[in-house]
Amino acid sequence: MKSAVQDYEAIKTAVRTAANAHGEPQWFVDRRLAAIDAMQELALPEMQRYDFHRWPLMGNVELSFRDSDKHLADGLPKATNQIRFVQVGQTTVAVNLPADLADQGVILTDIFSAFRNHADLAKKYFMTQVTQYNENKLTAYQQAFLNAGIFLYVPKGVEIKQPIEAYLIQDSTVKQAMVSHVLIIAEENSQFSFIQHLTTRGDEANAAHCMVEVVSGTNSHVHFSSVDELGANTYSFLHRRANLANDARFDWAIGIANDQNTLGDITSELIGEGSHSESKVVAITTGKQSNGLNNRVVNRGKHTTANISQRGVLLEKSELVFNGIGNIIHGASGANAEQENRVLMMSHEAHGDANPILLIDEDDVIAGHAASAGQVDQNQLYYLMSRGIDKELAQRLVIRGFLGPVLEEIPLKEVRREMIGVIERKLKDGQHFE
Amino acid sequence: MATLEVKDLHVSVKEEKSQTREILKGVNLSMKTGEIHAIMGPNGTGKSTLAQTIMGNSAYHVTQGDILLNGESLLEMPVDERARKGLFLGMQYPAEIKGVTNAEFLRAAINARRPEDDQISVMAFLKELDKNLDLLDMSKEMTERYLNEDFSGGEKKRNEILQLLMIKPSFALLDEIDSGLDIDALQVVAKGVNSMRGDDFGSLIITHYQRLLNYIVPDVVHVMMDGRIVKSGDAELAKKLENEGYAGLRDELGLKVNLVDDNR
Ligand SMILES: Nc1ncnc2c1ncn2[C@@H]1O[C@H](COP(=O)(O)OP(=O)(O)OP(=O)(O)O)[C@@H](O)[C@H]1O
Ligand SMILES: [Mg+2]
Repeated sequence: MKSAVQDYEAIKTAVRTAANAHGEPQWFVDRRLAAIDAMQELALPEMQRYDFHRWPLMGNVELSFRDSDKHLADGLPKATNQIRFVQVGQTTVAVNLPADLADQGVILTDIFSAFRNHADLAKKYFMTQVTQYNENKLTAYQQAFLNAGIFLYVPKGVEIKQPIEAYLIQDSTVKQAMVSHVLIIAEENSQFSFIQHLTTRGDEANAAHCMVEVVSGTNSHVHFSSVDELGANTYSFLHRRANLANDARFDWAIGIANDQNTLGDITSELIGEGSHSESKVVAITTGKQSNGLNNRVVNRGKHTTANISQRGVLLEKSELVFNGIGNIIHGASGANAEQENRVLMMSHEAHGDANPILLIDEDDVIAGHAASAGQVDQNQLYYLMSRGIDKELAQRLVIRGFLGPVLEEIPLKEVRREMIGVIERKLKDGQHFE
Repeated sequence: MATLEVKDLHVSVKEEKSQTREILKGVNLSMKTGEIHAIMGPNGTGKSTLAQTIMGNSAYHVTQGDILLNGESLLEMPVDERARKGLFLGMQYPAEIKGVTNAEFLRAAINARRPEDDQISVMAFLKELDKNLDLLDMSKEMTERYLNEDFSGGEKKRNEILQLLMIKPSFALLDEIDSGLDIDALQVVAKGVNSMRGDDFGSLIITHYQRLLNYIVPDVVHVMMDGRIVKSGDAELAKKLENEGYAGLRDELGLKVNLVDDNR
């Protein structure tokens, strides 16, 4: 029998060989190896009131690169003069960036090209500022086994009117973990919105590690949306974090409608004075799946505003835990942090929890929270049904009403519409009646 | 012509500590489209229970008897199916539903009764909606608001009647559709119900006030006490009750029923 040390040396050798063959710059190969070293010591991240330790998230410790079938991207909405990026597995299928934006210095490329062609930026920002690779076992895994991703750089003062759309399609026609990274750098006074779509093609059981890091520069305005629809055989870890500089405005609008267990960790670090973040999440769970979602805002700078608003709907025997974590650091005077976490259970066998967790270390602040975890109001269903509306539609209407307050505040109409569509799709799948 | 029959209906509710209590103790009632029936009776005698049980509210358990629509028993039918078969309940306390507009709800209700390939067109819907809004003196803005959300008591009642006019059931059970209404609103609501009157429509109107029956003149008036219909008559019966109160009728019939007033 091989010893664990031999295994681990063998993994390092294999990763070095694969990364070199993939043409990666030496600095990144070194970082991969450092991450494998770190992984040995690190523990999994802790999530309050939620246990995911048995999930098969890190079974795949092999780095390999292959071309995916481009046709797996068929069926995407038509590109109408949009700024878009499409990646299937590790294969970048399309990058549309208008020439005038490229002329202004905007960079939109796959992450490995960025490592080679924009090494100064990539080296400076990749898992060094927003997220450290050695925070926990999963962040180290991310750096060690990274195999896909996007790099977006928006220079100082550049305003992009159209949203930038990214389609990240997990290729589960083969057995391979998706370890994908979206690195976004918004320089001073830049302004844009980014919409990400996560989906799965194929039925292989694979993990998906999807990390997002956003550097929000001084007075930048960035809106990040994600519509998550990973497949029924994909256990996922969604780590998304933004650092906000002075007067930056950064918002999350996230719809989680994956079909398998999901661990979500969303954070806004309000470092700069006067920065502001709105973090909105809607989630829907069905079957026996379990989702644990941390939504954290950290007020570090003075006069920062950070609001969380999340709503989740549970069907069948599913489980959904929302932790809203409001952390106000000593010295962040004038900070403002409000949060609202609500879950609605459509079945007696579902298990939902909404936990506001406030960690406040400063006196001069305004902070508040509201939370609820309740069963669907039978009276509302009865009322709708008494007008001839069937139970499925009645439920969908009540759920739409419940999610409405969060959905309505999403500024991009197309995102709002897409989220409603995705939710209704999943609801229909989850409505199994006696 | 459609018929609605209630036969020897006994209904219980579950109370706390899993005890059950019988509320309806053998109700008999028979009505046809073309007729308006009124039910009056003291608080807590089971009027709403009767209406809710006919509609199919699962809080009420039928322990004996039957409810028949056109000869077909409704007991095993879920509420939405009863509605699609032609029943409508104007509720004493309508639910509020955020995020669903009144107009969207009305369309869904209308379409629920129509086959998949014959859904109402937007134009036809709006035309019908405008006509009924006019009749009920309601503003268009009410239909863009969320269903009953933050509606005043009177607005909710008016909205129940709007639904009635849009859905056009064969039988409408109207539970205290007049309570909380000012005089003008009462006339508007009565106008709405009267506009439905005809060979294809019947209604069972629950009310405490004879005043409503001046505007919607009933063909039959029933008096309910302690879970039973104890007397039926014509419109004159309501006037007599208004003058003499329930105690007079109770004593005349020799019933042993406690009325709330007796405790004062
Ligand atoms: N869901 C229920 N659970 C328990 N008890 C109920 C329920 N619904 C009604 N009751 C009881 O049944 C009795 C009859 O109630 P009901 O609402 O039918 O009376 P009502 O005649 O409509 O009175 P009112 O004139 O005050 O509206 C009351 O004692 C009431 O408390
Ligand atoms: Mg009543």
